[in-house]
Amino acid sequence: MVRLLWLTALAATLVRGDEVAWWPENVRPDPFGEAVRADQGASRDRPKVTALTGSRAGYLSAQVVIRLDRPQPYHLEFRLEDKTGKLQLDVFREWFHFSEWDKSYYPDALIPIQHPYDSSIPESDNKIAKQTTQAFWVDIWAPADTEPGEYSVRAILRNGSRGRREARLRLRITDLVTPPEDAVTIDHNSYGSSFLADQYPRLASPYEDGAFFQSDDFFRLIHSYHRLFYEHRGTFHQLGYGHGGKVGPEFAPALEGSGANRHVASWDMYDRHYGPLLDGSAFKETRRGARPIPFVYLPVNPEWPASFVNWGEPGYDAEFTRVLGEMESHFRKNNWVNTRFEMFFNHKKRYKAFPWDGDEVRFPDDNAFFKKYGQLLKESIPPDSPVKFVFRADVSWAMERQFEELKNTVTMWVASGSMLSWMKDAPKLLRDRGEFLWHYSGPPPVTQSAVSITKQILRTWIWRVNGYVHWLTVNPGPDPWFHFDGGGTTLVYSGDRFGLRDPIPSIRLKCQRNALQDLALLQSLRVSRAEVSTAFNGTQPDEWWSQEPERAHRPPYEWTNPDLEAVSRVVDARLENIDPAAWNRVRELIYQKK
Amino acid sequence: MAPLAAAAARAQDREAELRRVARVATVMMDGDECKRVVTPRALAAMFAENPKDKWAASDDYNVDAPTFIRVKKTLIRLSRLAPFPCDVNLWLPLAAKPGKVHIAIRNANELSQFWTWGALHQDAHPAMKTVLETGGIQAVSEKPGLTSVLAPVYDSLGAVVGLVEVVARSKPDTHENVR
Repeated sequence: MVRLLWLTALAATLVRGDEVAWWPENVRPDPFGEAVRADQGASRDRPKVTALTGSRAGYLSAQVVIRLDRPQPYHLEFRLEDKTGKLQLDVFREWFHFSEWDKSYYPDALIPIQHPYDSSIPESDNKIAKQTTQAFWVDIWAPADTEPGEYSVRAILRNGSRGRREARLRLRITDLVTPPEDAVTIDHNSYGSSFLADQYPRLASPYEDGAFFQSDDFFRLIHSYHRLFYEHRGTFHQLGYGHGGKVGPEFAPALEGSGANRHVASWDMYDRHYGPLLDGSAFKETRRGARPIPFVYLPVNPEWPASFVNWGEPGYDAEFTRVLGEMESHFRKNNWVNTRFEMFFNHKKRYKAFPWDGDEVRFPDDNAFFKKYGQLLKESIPPDSPVKFVFRADVSWAMERQFEELKNTVTMWVASGSMLSWMKDAPKLLRDRGEFLWHYSGPPPVTQSAVSITKQILRTWIWRVNGYVHWLTVNPGPDPWFHFDGGGTTLVYSGDRFGLRDPIPSIRLKCQRNALQDLALLQSLRVSRAEVSTAFNGTQPDEWWSQEPERAHRPPYEWTNPDLEAVSRVVDARLENIDPAAWNRVRELIYQKK
Repeated sequence: MAPLAAAAARAQDREAELRRVARVATVMMDGDECKRVVTPRALAAMFAENPKDKWAASDDYNVDAPTFIRVKKTLIRLSRLAPFPCDVNLWLPLAAKPGKVHIAIRNANELSQFWTWGALHQDAHPAMKTVLETGGIQAVSEKPGLTSVLAPVYDSLGAVVGLVEVVARSKPDTHENVR
């Protein structure tokens, strides 16, 4: 009865200008009903979408935008017209972040909501004066066994008996099935786990004296981050040690003894952290199903498992090889044979703990340390081990020389995209050697167009490299909600503010996932790279590479950052100002023949 | 003993241990070696300003690896004299810029009360100046939970050419600086 009275009261308040509309995924609204400037195409008209086409084992996405001319409560519900009962609807409220860069609002964080949804404009927690518009992200999941055909979903803005507004979105599910394997690996990097205590005060504060970091809540939260990225067709990395070599207890087995007696004392924390990730059970409730993580950092660094005090002496080698050997044995015993364990060095000389650059070598003498660690790794692991160890190096200045000098040592390369851009032969060279090649950069901030996150995905595929790393994806800055730094270091947010115990996704992460789905389909349909790049921005694949600069023939320690920026600027200019429909044209390549 | 008095006593004990390590460090550290840790090219680049490339000096930072390793091993061994987690850092003055110092070698826990993260050089703290000028040992407890004892490093001519920061946290944090 109370609800009926409320609706009746609501009906009297709605006026002619109130509306509900479906917007495409790649044009974000602001809180006042216009598209954000970065997503405005040639036309300033409010974008509308009336139909979506998608594949099974995949998502279709759009936004529902409601606009009310004056402050008032509202009631929003969704009706899925699906007699098979297969389709599933996920609805998220879009948070409007105030960007300090340009003093504008951008939606990005997606708060999961139950629907029907009752609220009001202005939204009380978002605190935007004169807000007229609220947006919702809608994911429609079509399982692999969905019957191909026509479906629809209606968004109904409850106006009561006289003022009800409704917008219908037609859905066409084709007989295509999105491949489970992606065409490229998109990785989301992070450092340590102390950010979890900082970003989840409600979860962490009941624990005292660091007990949170040993709690079930802590490990569940870590696994939740993995699940979120996995559900969005990505991988997640957490580096477990600092620049000085200190290792977080959950990232490594506990050790005791020294020299010939150095050994693993306990696997407890390591197994609680990694066991469910390495056997895949952490993902058993996901739509993509249980699957072990494909990559993981090892805690190995110059100070672990061997102490640097023994570097260059037999004791260092003994400590290193014994503990690595125990790790191999433990992983094999647990059948953790589907994950690549990465020995990776992140330190730099400028941070003053070690005398060589593990990350982004600039001086050639540093390669000798890589060779030594490569040798130690080989000595530690039985040659017929089913456990997959790789030696990963993140490279920039010296990469071209390292590709040769560290052949047979480094087996996984994560390369600066700007420098890789003139090494067109590198992907084939490394692929032929059976090595991995990824490149890295950072997430595009929200001030760039929504479609801009698809550029690096497409570049990865066009370059024929295996993967791409967003170098930091869990740091939304000190106040992402009201004083946002743009999100160039995050693609997810803490749900703590909303009473949630898990991370929440972003619009950029959703756009990236949808592009990855499409790319997996395009690859399976053997659509050529030239067709795709032409559709995207009228370029040919060669135009995604740059010319080798004259500087490249001089020693890398003589190069400067402006030298490199000058090179990448040429390619970047071709990829600037991608219009909002760029990825839609790519997607149409999948369905135009269906 | 009341909790506050007990805490004060523990702090005194901690500082006493750090002073003991610092005195040993002054004897054990080889100042001539310390002066050779950073390469002349990197020292020259440290103050070169390039408005178009703010990372130039950091990118050009380099050390003489064998010397660095020998000195670092000594610092690690010194830190093990303390019965609790402790770092011993090496600080050196910069001849080209009087009043400026740089941290040359840090260690596993990445503890310091003075280092500005990522800085290649910085102003010397007054206690550092005292050590460099007088050769006396100084204790500093300015940042909550941290105690540092600064002690001189001498070269073969008997000149103070640097200092060690022997530093510990009152309550070790397993996740601090794992990033």
